Amino acid sequence: MKEFKLDTTQKIASGFKTPDNYFDTLSEKVMLQIPEKEVKVLSIFQRKKSIIFLVAAVFMIALLLPQLFTSATKTTELDNSSIENYLTYQSNVSQYDIINLLDEEDIDALRQEVAVDGDMVENSSNTN
Amino acid sequence: MLEEKEFIERLLNPKTQNEAFQKLLSEYQKPLYNHIRNIVLNHDDTDDVLQNTFVKVFQHLKNFKGDSKLFSWMYRIATNEALTFLNQKAKKSGISSEALQNKAIDNLKSDSYFDGDEIQIKLQQAIVTLPEKQQLVFKMKYFEELKYEEISEILGTSVGALKASYHHAVKKIEAFVTTN
Repeated sequence: MKEFKLDTTQKIASGFKTPDNYFDTLSEKVMLQIPEKEVKVLSIFQRKKSIIFLVAAVFMIALLLPQLFTSATKTTELDNSSIENYLTYQSNVSQYDIINLLDEEDIDALRQEVAVDGDMVENSSNTN
Repeated sequence: MLEEKEFIERLLNPKTQNEAFQKLLSEYQKPLYNHIRNIVLNHDDTDDVLQNTFVKVFQHLKNFKGDSKLFSWMYRIATNEALTFLNQKAKKSGISSEALQNKAIDNLKSDSYFDGDEIQIKLQQAIVTLPEKQQLVFKMKYFEELKYEEISEILGTSVGALKASYHHAVKKIEAFVTTN
């Protein structure tokens, strides 16, 4: 039997063929399978929904803002009686400390506010 | 190398991507067809695998790091797709991959897209007896006439190991054809 040798035998082709014009249409077939870049499309309903949420959010903020401001002013502004009560009952400030802090103008203002009658003072000092 | 780098940039740029990919398709469709056809043997299967290969190439372009050449990266994808296809087909038919390939060779005789004669059929029968890696090396070297360096990049095997593999494959094929 004659020994078969690949390198001494004429090159053997694979013998495979393709249909006519196969390569002319392949590119088109492949491109059809490649999805276009996804573009995010919002439906009309989704758009409406977003607008409704936006309007609701603005409305809520508009409702809450005045309340936020009023509560803030309430906490920061103190009336005179509150200060007076605090100084009298809560703090360590004595009446002598307060007297030392008063200047002439304050004393005049106090005189006008609390109209002290000379007789009343005399009576009071006599009784106490 | 710079040319390939520029070409890859064009493939990745959304503005030039389609045009560059069309160029890639026209340049590689024939060599990749031959590569896949040599593995799966039948035209219709080759057509499916080739289309899948190009779709995968497109989908994974953004992951291509340029560590290897575009050519070898595409051949690797094509090889994996073809081998996976064969294994899945064999599994579905409930037969081994070798039995499936033998069946495909028998079908070649009546295949209108095969114009080989007896020696070509015998050569295919001899190739099927080889281990998978030797089959690949033989087909890539003998039919596709790729250089050892190129096969090395595609299969990730050293040139020395590939030469030894090809040598063993040739010896086995010669012995098969001589005795059958």
